[in-house]
Amino acid sequence: MNLRDLVILVADPSSYISMLIHGMLRGFGSNKILEVRNSTGVLQTLMGQKIDIMICDMHLPPHGGLSLTRAIRSKTDNEHRTMPILMMSSDSREATIKRARDAGANMVIVKPISPSSLYDRLSWIAFNPRKFVDTETYFGPDRRFKIEGYPGGVGRRSGDKEVEIGAESGPALGQDDIDNLFSSVQTGD
Amino acid sequence: MAKGKHPKSGNQKTPRVAAAKTAGPKAEASKAGKPKAPASEARIFTVDTRFQQMARRAGGIPRNKALERAQSALDEVKPSYDDWLEREVAGLAELVKNAEGGNAEPGWLETAAFRSRQLRDSAAPLGFELLAFIASSLCELLDSIEAGSECNMESVTCHIDALMLARQGSYRRMKPEQVPELTKGLQRVVKHVTI
Repeated sequence: MNLRDLVILVADPSSYISMLIHGMLRGFGSNKILEVRNSTGVLQTLMGQKIDIMICDMHLPPHGGLSLTRAIRSKTDNEHRTMPILMMSSDSREATIKRARDAGANMVIVKPISPSSLYDRLSWIAFNPRKFVDTETYFGPDRRFKIEGYPGGVGRRSGDKEVEIGAESGPALGQDDIDNLFSSVQTGD
Repeated sequence: MAKGKHPKSGNQKTPRVAAAKTAGPKAEASKAGKPKAPASEARIFTVDTRFQQMARRAGGIPRNKALERAQSALDEVKPSYDDWLEREVAGLAELVKNAEGGNAEPGWLETAAFRSRQLRDSAAPLGFELLAFIASSLCELLDSIEAGSECNMESVTCHIDALMLARQGSYRRMKPEQVPELTKGLQRVVKHVTI
């Protein structure tokens, strides 16, 4: 993966955590990394320059990373509408991951972040592009997926099997399960 | 969906819309013979963003090398961690102390949760496993309180005490399994409060 000259926006309320992510990205070869602490900073940055990918915390103040993602995806005259968004979350419950997916995030990475998990998620977005879907109620990467190992399969369109959404208090998912939630269907596109 | 409701992405150069097709339920004739209004249709299209194009270029850093370099970058940060950790734990302890004494700052719980998340998310990648464990347990506890569990200050205080202990040099490098009494005790506290 070649990150040189790509502009990466890290949106995290913590300057220390941003610094750690910044260090990891530099290690991966990135040389253009911007940092912001809140949604206002994100929107101002997006207005001022072209961002190639955003790594955003789900707790980004004031309204959270999901609201911000929905705003970016829904604004039709926005050149960043299809920008890849990697959502960072410490809450790995299935319902939370599904909310991120439904907001239009390309992928969720669980905090605390390790270099290998960050590298692999970026690599996945780079090498496994998903089609975009535009409907009245959703704009973002194709949410159709299949989960290996989940009984009954999961889907969102006619012909797909119904989702059984777990209770909010459900157990946290591992990063592999989260990845499965975001992996697109390989057949039937 | 209404005509013209799906404009193309703002940037017409990159990402580019390579192909488009429609999907979704077709309009069906009603029993009365009148066609129903078409249900919303999905426009599905391929996007090849600049990120994807550029990241696939030759000349990138191989994964193993990239991870080595990232770890080196984290190692460079470690010397600054002591001072930062000291400030964060002290700030957290003061917040909790004030709350316990009836002088809680407005939004103290959110601030405490933010600080504990910072501690957890920094300690783990830097390899301070015991600190990460305690901070993670505190995050769970504070999240639970924010979600409506009883605000048991003793359970919060015992986490702060554990953090005070784990930030010390002799404990900093320990793994949770090396202090089972401490870790099991914290787990019991969290379980008790969150039930």
